[in-house]
Amino acid sequence: MMTLMRHDHETDESFYKILEIRHLTGNAFSIRLPKARFAFKAGQHISLGIVGGNQSREYSIYSGENEENLEVLIKEVQNGYFTPQLRRLKIGRMLEVHGPFGKFGMEPGKAEKGKFVFIASGTGIAPFRSIIRTYPNIDYRLIHGVKTLEEAYDSHEYEKSRYVLCTSREKTGDYHGRLTGYLKTCTFAPDTQFDLCGNSEMIFDALEILKGKGFSRDQIHCEVYF
Amino acid sequence: MILNEKKRVAFKTLGCRLNQYETDALVTDFSQAGYELVDYNESPDVVIVNTCTVTNQSDHKSRSVISQTARKAKNAVVVVTGCMANNFKEKLESQENITFVVENSRKSSILTLVDAHFSGEIAHPDQLPQDVFRYEPVKKSLHTRSAVKIQDGCDNFCTFCIIPMVRGNAVSRPVADVLESIRKTVENGFKEIVITGVNIGRYSDGATRFEDLLAQILEVPGDFRVRISSLEPDGFGPDFVKLFAHPKLMPHLHLCLQSGSDKTLLRMRRMYDVEQFRKTVTQFRAIYADFNFTTDIIVGFPGETEEEFGQTLEAIKEFNFSHIHTFKYSVRKGTRAERLENHLPEKVKTERSLQIRDLSVENKIDYFNSFIGKTQDVLVEKVAHGVASGYGEHYIPVRFKLAGAQKNAIHKVRLLERKGDDENSYLFGEAVL
Ligand SMILES: Cc1cc2nc3c(=O)[nH]c(=O)nc-3n(C[C@H](O)[C@H](O)[C@H](O)COP(=O)(O)OP(=O)(O)OC[C@H]3O[C@@H](n4cnc5c(N)ncnc54)[C@H](O)[C@@H]3O)c2cc1C
Ligand code: SF4
Repeated sequence: MMTLMRHDHETDESFYKILEIRHLTGNAFSIRLPKARFAFKAGQHISLGIVGGNQSREYSIYSGENEENLEVLIKEVQNGYFTPQLRRLKIGRMLEVHGPFGKFGMEPGKAEKGKFVFIASGTGIAPFRSIIRTYPNIDYRLIHGVKTLEEAYDSHEYEKSRYVLCTSREKTGDYHGRLTGYLKTCTFAPDTQFDLCGNSEMIFDALEILKGKGFSRDQIHCEVYF
Repeated sequence: MILNEKKRVAFKTLGCRLNQYETDALVTDFSQAGYELVDYNESPDVVIVNTCTVTNQSDHKSRSVISQTARKAKNAVVVVTGCMANNFKEKLESQENITFVVENSRKSSILTLVDAHFSGEIAHPDQLPQDVFRYEPVKKSLHTRSAVKIQDGCDNFCTFCIIPMVRGNAVSRPVADVLESIRKTVENGFKEIVITGVNIGRYSDGATRFEDLLAQILEVPGDFRVRISSLEPDGFGPDFVKLFAHPKLMPHLHLCLQSGSDKTLLRMRRMYDVEQFRKTVTQFRAIYADFNFTTDIIVGFPGETEEEFGQTLEAIKEFNFSHIHTFKYSVRKGTRAERLENHLPEKVKTERSLQIRDLSVENKIDYFNSFIGKTQDVLVEKVAHGVASGYGEHYIPVRFKLAGAQKNAIHKVRLLERKGDDENSYLFGEAVL
């Protein structure tokens, strides 16, 4: 989150026109932008600002490294400052984009070798979609914690055997309850790499569970949204 | 530009080592160009205020220094630069007592701007080139040790921190430039070099990471020693600890823990946990038992419970930091933490920060006392009334009496006793001749 006073980008090259908006649920949507000059590593995030506004927020990139467009997945936060404004935007409006930022995600050369468990709450699934679309042969398991089935954003894209949906408010998922409840029941190979993304409370609880199962913190990477 | 009549320049610097380094480099620039360095009370023609914006307090201080300098140096050209110039550019530009507002990325070209102004050209700071590494190696300095900047910017986006917004993305200075700057700084007579930047552990130039660069710096010939300015705990690899066996590299790190609670660290978006921090400290102390760790702690971060604060106190005791820079959490506009829930009352923050201060003083006294009877190589920074003062290898302040002691000389000193009031303790010793 930042005020838009960066000195290191020419304004014209950081303005991106909205090409498409996909409404995924009542309050979650994705925005597609041209990829233009953008080179990023799957897992990284960008900052988005509304041209003419004075605030911006960070969003993980939802699309793969080699795709034609840059896509982000956004959930409107009730009483939030930025997301209600973002949600009102129409195709053709300009967004100010900076980045890519961050060390979270896949190191080149690692994806083909390792075993990965991706753990996401809500829109925290975004960087994992980017990784999976970039590395289609990656050996992964994706554990996604949401409240209701409708928040299983684009879940049809993942191989059924690799995707576990945990729904805490209804019995519609593969597991009924919080993802941390599911995590407690799991066993993983000792050399598994874990990537966690979402809110800090889920990440804290998941870290404790994984450490309790004997995994070292060095095997676990986190991206905290809030 | 050669000046017909010697112009007088004064500097005021707030904030971190990086800012101090950048001021020192500007001092070198201006004095090489023929300007006389004066205090801002001595009617300068130009005053350069290098500001800080890291906390609300720094904003407040920066503002009051700007108005004080502008008032005292009435007819001077007032240049305001530094992080506050980025964070509040438009506001500062609208102030009548400021002539120029120069962003961090253009700071290294302030001499060009001021020269142009005195030559009667219409100059605007936005026309200056943007280069965060253009600084000359420091020759004339306000300090005994000189910093060398290896990196600028940060994109970690810790939730409390405004720095990524005012210093921009992480960028690293090319290895060859860094080594050249070290060589020149040593040639200029500096005996101690501080490696500095915003997040230096993130240094990366091709395949060269921070510890690789440090290894090369240590191999630069010459009689000098090296310190590292503050470091984030997650930026370096396993070989880092071994480098401290090199006689040039001083056994002290300011390793920023910020909190001893894993939950708080996550809310801060810090990418390490207490266990990883413990591993680093243990690795160092297993090899160098008296290694000096100092740190930064933020108290009263939004949502910090009694239990989480208690974990911070425990961590401070365990890691035995000899000094703690304690920050009472204050909201920085535009950061993520501004919008976090459960901000704590000022009273709680004050109480907690006093507890940390007390522990810090206890640790400092114990650590300093453990050096009594030992010897340290002290770089003399000041000599007054026959007493020399400076810092030993572990960054402990030392004073000793020696007839003819000279600034910028290194002396072996046997440490005899701890003096001074608790927080401002120092060790008093005798020169070993
Ligand atoms: C590196 C990074 C990547 C991120 N990627 C994404 C992403 O891909 N998609 C996305 O929707 N958000 C993402 N976020 C969060 C995003 O930056 C904003 O915080 C979020 O969109 C809310 O903005 P706002 O101004 O509407 O809310 P604000 O007015 O800033 O209110 C913030 C409050 O809303 C809550 N909140 C913040 N984010 C969420 C969320 N996603 N779901 C539920 N509650 C939330 C928090 O409690 C916070 O205190 C990311 C954050 C970071 C740091
Ligand atoms: S690492 Fe965190 S605290 Fe340090 S400069 Fe970067 S964002 Fe700020």
